[in-house]
Amino acid sequence: MRRFEYHEPTSLKEASQLLTSLGEGAYFLAGGTDLFVEIRERLRQVRHLVNIKRVPGLDQIEWSDQTGLRFGAQVTAGQLEASGYLNGRYPNLRAALKALASIQVRNRATVVGNVCRASPSADTIPPLIADGAVIETYRPGGGRHIPLAEFFAGPGRTVLEPGEIVIAVTVPPPAQGSHRAYLKHGRRKAMELATVGVAVSLEVEDGLCTGARVALGAVGPVVLRAPQTEAILVGSRLDAAVLNAAAEQAMQECTPISNVRASAEYRREMVGVLTRRAVMLALEEAA
Amino acid sequence: MTKHEFRIVGKSVKRQDVIEKITGEGRYTGDYHLPGLLSGKIKRAEIAHARIRRIDVSRALAYPGVKAVLTHHDVPRVLHYGSPHPRSASCTMDQYILDDRVRFWGEGIAAVAAVSEEIADEALDLIEVEYEPLPAVLDIDAAQAPDAPLIHDVGPGGNLVIPPVHIERGDVEKGFAEADLILEGEFSGGRPVPTYMEPNVCIADWDGSNKLTFWTSTQTSFMVRGALAEVLGLPLNKVRVLVDHMGGGFGAKQDLFQHEFLCALLAKKCRRPVKMEFTRRETFLAGRSRHPFRLWLRQGFRKDGTLTAREMKIVYESGAYGSHSPGVTNVGTASATSLYRCENVRLDGRAVYTNTPIAGAYRGYGVVQTYFAIDIQMDEAAEKLGIDPAGIRLRNAVREGDIAPSGHPVVGYGLEACIRHGIRAFDWAGKRAADRHDPANPAIRKGWGIGCEMHGSSAYPGIKEQGNAIVRMNEDGSVTLLTGAAGLGTGAHTALAQIVAEELGVPFETVSVVHGDTDVVPWDIGAFASHTTYLVGSAAKMAAAELRQRVLARAAEKLQEKPGHLEMVEGVILVQGQPDRSITVAEAMGPSRGIPAEHLVASGSYMPTKSYSFAAHFVEVAVDTETGIIECRKVMPVHDVGRVIHPVAAQGQIEGGIQQGIGHTLTEDYVIDRTTGRSLNAGLVDYKMPLSMDMPDIETVILEAAPDPGGPWGAKGVGEDPIIAIGPAIANAVYDAIGVRFHHYPITPEDVLNGLRRKAAESSARD
Repeated sequence: MRRFEYHEPTSLKEASQLLTSLGEGAYFLAGGTDLFVEIRERLRQVRHLVNIKRVPGLDQIEWSDQTGLRFGAQVTAGQLEASGYLNGRYPNLRAALKALASIQVRNRATVVGNVCRASPSADTIPPLIADGAVIETYRPGGGRHIPLAEFFAGPGRTVLEPGEIVIAVTVPPPAQGSHRAYLKHGRRKAMELATVGVAVSLEVEDGLCTGARVALGAVGPVVLRAPQTEAILVGSRLDAAVLNAAAEQAMQECTPISNVRASAEYRREMVGVLTRRAVMLALEEAA
Repeated sequence: MTKHEFRIVGKSVKRQDVIEKITGEGRYTGDYHLPGLLSGKIKRAEIAHARIRRIDVSRALAYPGVKAVLTHHDVPRVLHYGSPHPRSASCTMDQYILDDRVRFWGEGIAAVAAVSEEIADEALDLIEVEYEPLPAVLDIDAAQAPDAPLIHDVGPGGNLVIPPVHIERGDVEKGFAEADLILEGEFSGGRPVPTYMEPNVCIADWDGSNKLTFWTSTQTSFMVRGALAEVLGLPLNKVRVLVDHMGGGFGAKQDLFQHEFLCALLAKKCRRPVKMEFTRRETFLAGRSRHPFRLWLRQGFRKDGTLTAREMKIVYESGAYGSHSPGVTNVGTASATSLYRCENVRLDGRAVYTNTPIAGAYRGYGVVQTYFAIDIQMDEAAEKLGIDPAGIRLRNAVREGDIAPSGHPVVGYGLEACIRHGIRAFDWAGKRAADRHDPANPAIRKGWGIGCEMHGSSAYPGIKEQGNAIVRMNEDGSVTLLTGAAGLGTGAHTALAQIVAEELGVPFETVSVVHGDTDVVPWDIGAFASHTTYLVGSAAKMAAAELRQRVLARAAEKLQEKPGHLEMVEGVILVQGQPDRSITVAEAMGPSRGIPAEHLVASGSYMPTKSYSFAAHFVEVAVDTETGIIECRKVMPVHDVGRVIHPVAAQGQIEGGIQQGIGHTLTEDYVIDRTTGRSLNAGLVDYKMPLSMDMPDIETVILEAAPDPGGPWGAKGVGEDPIIAIGPAIANAVYDAIGVRFHHYPITPEDVLNGLRRKAAESSARD
């Protein structure tokens, strides 16, 4: 492991100033489950580590019928999974959290950290995008609310400005007739990075799909929305023919690459299979 | 064998190391700390094949905290073996500690010692290297091309590690002429690595008398001692090798590694102890893998399934150095003489150098590859001939007296018993007749398959082995076993203590084991070849038997009885037929009027020939025809081990072997970029071993069908066996499920989907 300087701010203002003044090679530390591995494996050159765990007010999980779910930057995947707020409301996010690494890692890793790492294969991002999550930030000049779908600039990159800190994520409450699912495809069942991840969030009234958001993980530089796939689902009765058409469309809307985990062709094929299965699972979950 | 009522052998006694391991107090090499300890790190090449034109370490040497830097200019240039087995084995001298030539991406080219691991690591970046790139040979075909660049100046040429191994028995042409069916196929396999929990680690410390003390995680401490002494020019008594607990080895920790020499040389140069510990990444780059292979197999069968001829050519990919390729090529090629009996065989085995990471010894030692091919082709023959797959195996299973791969007649044949037991217990016929569909998921197809294996305990005749044990009865009646056998984590020391306690007639708890100090324990060839219980167990039993006689002689003096009238049971010495006359072992050994206390020592040396263990694995798979994912759902491994010493430990070995076998068959492959030689997944993020969630239900059956007279009470090895049969069993079950044959591993989901498409295209072309 390479040496680095360690900082422990106690306010958002101080944390933000530190990151700005320290410049290149300065990184926030929350859970550290990815960062420490990257430091050890020399994948990331870290000169300064700014631990934000002493900053007050970032450890809350809240629920309200009006505004939905809100969780702070220090909330771990394990805490969110155990909070009970996800049950019956965000089964896709719940599935994604359960699919994330191991129990030990989930007890350390923060959900916001998983999001801010901006990996196209991150498990929590597809369901959060499908559910319309919004990022809340702190900035010296005033914080922002950024829809998660507009948060990513590329693999490992976000639209955050220097010194801007994500303080919470808000996920709107599920609408009437909500059906949601997340399916992850990997080489083994646990401790795995998604080869493909598909999240769906649907609204269905009297058998008719009235709203649909489909998010595709690990098949593009960022987690992708699939608007044309959604258009096929909305207004339909979600029968086998529609599901097959949606699966075909989702395969066209992704832009996978080939690497040691899978070929682009295989990933594209799995987008089709998982999209169809995710819609079917979502319909089952609510029933 | 006389009828013997077992008190300790055959019982799953509490392992001797269990408390230390559970509390975390057990010490591994990495846990040791010495005053003034420095940290050593290795600079690794980022090119597959090159000459080092210039290497400049001045900036690294000037870096604060750096104590020494070594390059090929600074170390003795001694050509040495990678696999440091005694001269009785075929080994290849092709390595220098550091060379001016790079032969694979990841090879060490310099070493740094510094006051901290961080500083040593940072100093690596300050070493400047200028390469003259050489054309790289990156796979078996490229290595064998007529105009292929040569990786070594030594060896028989043509990138061969050793001259080809030829084995011919009977009349192959006649055999094929008698065949009603001839099958021919090509097979290949990836590059699984053993991924032991404990990365390689060593500490070197020189004292004022120029003696080297060397802690290391090795299966072969005496071989490490020998190779270090030879290369450093020291007598054997000036090198002391210490091994405490180990976190696995699986064969790969038999080599003498580059970092072990470098650690010793850095410590000498700095006059301070130095520790070198691999990162997980380094266990891939600089560790040892199974040999990737290409195999061609042709077999002839009569209508009833009887084999008439077998012809096989196999090429093992050795990587940049020879390591265990001579042994693997000899053992693997010879393995194809047997398992399924065939009088007419012609075999050709080769190992070739490539500019890729080093393949070495890994559980299954060349046999995983050959039996994968043979057992799949047996299935193909069964189908073509309309015979049940288990039936064709029974018809051809090796029998008593057949000439084994070692060249000796097989003593005891457990294979038939294993197959017959599994057919019944697994409900083979019922399952194979069942519906392949899964009512819960229309995309799933289920299938059932069988695979078999036999594997030798001990490396005879490749290595003439010797097992040694010293057993000491202390004056309080406690017993100390001294053994050179390493404890990889398998529970071998517990099994040896059981054997000693059983033979002596003392409680298991009174026997303790001293191991892993080459200055103290008797010489040992190393823990490998599934032989520790078989070979060292026999030596320990011999030593214990002799010690028992000596203890009884002393007790006889005290009891005023003839030794022949005494027996020792659970630490009590009884006069036969006189239940009221007895003394404890402590009383016998302790002082009494006129007789001082005494400790008694006996030793045993045993030179084995060879025994074979057998197994049949029955598996159920479920194949998702939409994703291509193969799930191994059930395994019934049926093993004949002659005599089981510790059932739970034996079962643990079997389950662990199945886990690794599922891995190399389905998900594990260390991938080397075939254009640059760079490692693409040198780490556990992208090298995928099966974990608990991926494991099937395993119902282990251990048979004592064919005891071997060479092992303690008939015991044979179990270490390597379970990794061999599982692979072809899975491949055969996949065929049963979806009708697609795979001749390679790992079988990836993508391979499955492509195979299904190929099959669909073929059947539509037929229609």
